[in-house]
Amino acid sequence: MNWFEFLLRNRGEVLARSVEHIGLVAASMGIALLIGLPLGIALVRRDRAQRWVLSAANIVQTIPSLALFGFLIPVPWIGGVGASTAIVALALYALLPILRNTCTGIAGVDPAVIEAARGMGMTQRQLLWQVQLPLAAPVLLAGIRVATVISIGVATIAAAIGAGGLGVFIFRGVAMVNNQVILAGAIPAALLAVVVDLSLGAFQRSLAQK
Amino acid sequence: MTGRTRSGWLPAAVFLACLSAALLAAACGRRGSDTIVVGSKNFTEQIVLAELFAQQVEAHSALHVERRVNLGGTMICQQALVAGKIDLYPEYTGTALTAVLNDPPQNDPSAVYQRVQQEYRARFGVEVLPPLGFNNTFALVVRGDDAEKLHLHNISDIASVAPKWRAGFGYEFMERPDGYRGWVAAYGLRFASEPKILDLGLLYRALADRQVDIVAGNSTDGVIAALGMVVLQDDRHYFPPYEAVPLVRRATLDRHPEVRMALDPLAGKISEEEMRRMNYAVDGEHRDPADVVREFRTAKHF
Repeated sequence: MNWFEFLLRNRGEVLARSVEHIGLVAASMGIALLIGLPLGIALVRRDRAQRWVLSAANIVQTIPSLALFGFLIPVPWIGGVGASTAIVALALYALLPILRNTCTGIAGVDPAVIEAARGMGMTQRQLLWQVQLPLAAPVLLAGIRVATVISIGVATIAAAIGAGGLGVFIFRGVAMVNNQVILAGAIPAALLAVVVDLSLGAFQRSLAQK
Repeated sequence: MTGRTRSGWLPAAVFLACLSAALLAAACGRRGSDTIVVGSKNFTEQIVLAELFAQQVEAHSALHVERRVNLGGTMICQQALVAGKIDLYPEYTGTALTAVLNDPPQNDPSAVYQRVQQEYRARFGVEVLPPLGFNNTFALVVRGDDAEKLHLHNISDIASVAPKWRAGFGYEFMERPDGYRGWVAAYGLRFASEPKILDLGLLYRALADRQVDIVAGNSTDGVIAALGMVVLQDDRHYFPPYEAVPLVRRATLDRHPEVRMALDPLAGKISEEEMRRMNYAVDGEHRDPADVVREFRTAKHF
């Protein structure tokens, strides 16, 4: 029996795990965006603070996920055993690319354009919403795209903390020394990453053309 | 054209020939008749046991001992032993029975030991020395304070509290034929919720932090002792025995009877608790296995 037959035979669970997986990625990306975008915008033109926050995000990126889960288990509310811990960890990992690209994107807007907008009498808020954010959008979206694809891969580790997702097959397969089971998790996760990357890429291009 | 090819090819061939001759000479030179090679698989307990065997042989004979530890798994150790690349290594009876002999699991420790001993002698020319005294199998672990408060000794003691408990198990325990499904059936257990399935490394942390109330680890995991946890006894003998035993080549024992004399005193002398402490000294306290074994041997007067 090859992995494809195994996949077909277990399509019910593969589908359920894929839905869990997408749920984990969506929830963590949502949180990362809610924190990352406003924080990134707030950090534009605050060079010192920006350096500190980005270094902190960098450090978080280097913590191995199992260690991060270990730290989070005793934390009340957000920690424990299950989906919440996994979502917090995934959101932390997604923060760096979102923050960095928000900062670079907005900083990269042509100063002449900003000068012109100021000359037209725009307030700071109008400047942000009508000039800086639209012009920075392709760079912002590139950050979100990278973060999402990474999240889809990293979310397989959620199975280590009882949060489900496609990683369940990978961990189960490793424990059983069974490659078919590993591939039943790894291949759908890879496909998911490719599909999401391509669709976000298409969206990004359509924004860039405007 | 042929000339060109040969001129490029010949020096390389000569070089390779010299190299392999040198390596062969080195290998043969090292492996004299008074050298024995101790092997082990690639995890802490195996490395500690191999070091123990090595120090015993060094202390009780004039033999030179070479340590070839960290070999990648049961199959590699087994093949190296049969091929004479190593002379002895530590193995577990249950692993020998199921992974090497491909027998179905059995529950009677002495039956498993005898079967493994007979088959290894007949098929591989390998002697299975008496068990060291501890069993490395799945262990059901609870917090020390719970064990004390609720008077828990055996797994069957938890039947009344299990419906209020949350369990945390690893993927291996959930999937293996000698794991979860048979276990709950053998003890008639029911838990408050479906078990949380966690990575083995996170289980003890979740238990310590009261996220779960019982976990399945390995009976010789060092952290059990370090975190003051308690292993429940398998009073219905559900788990197949995985007794640690030295496997030694017949030919080695014939040539050097002192190897058997050196290992004999270890029989039945290492408890699960002692093995746990040594594992923890290496894993948890990052100490050198050789020092840990030396202290253990002094304390036990081996």
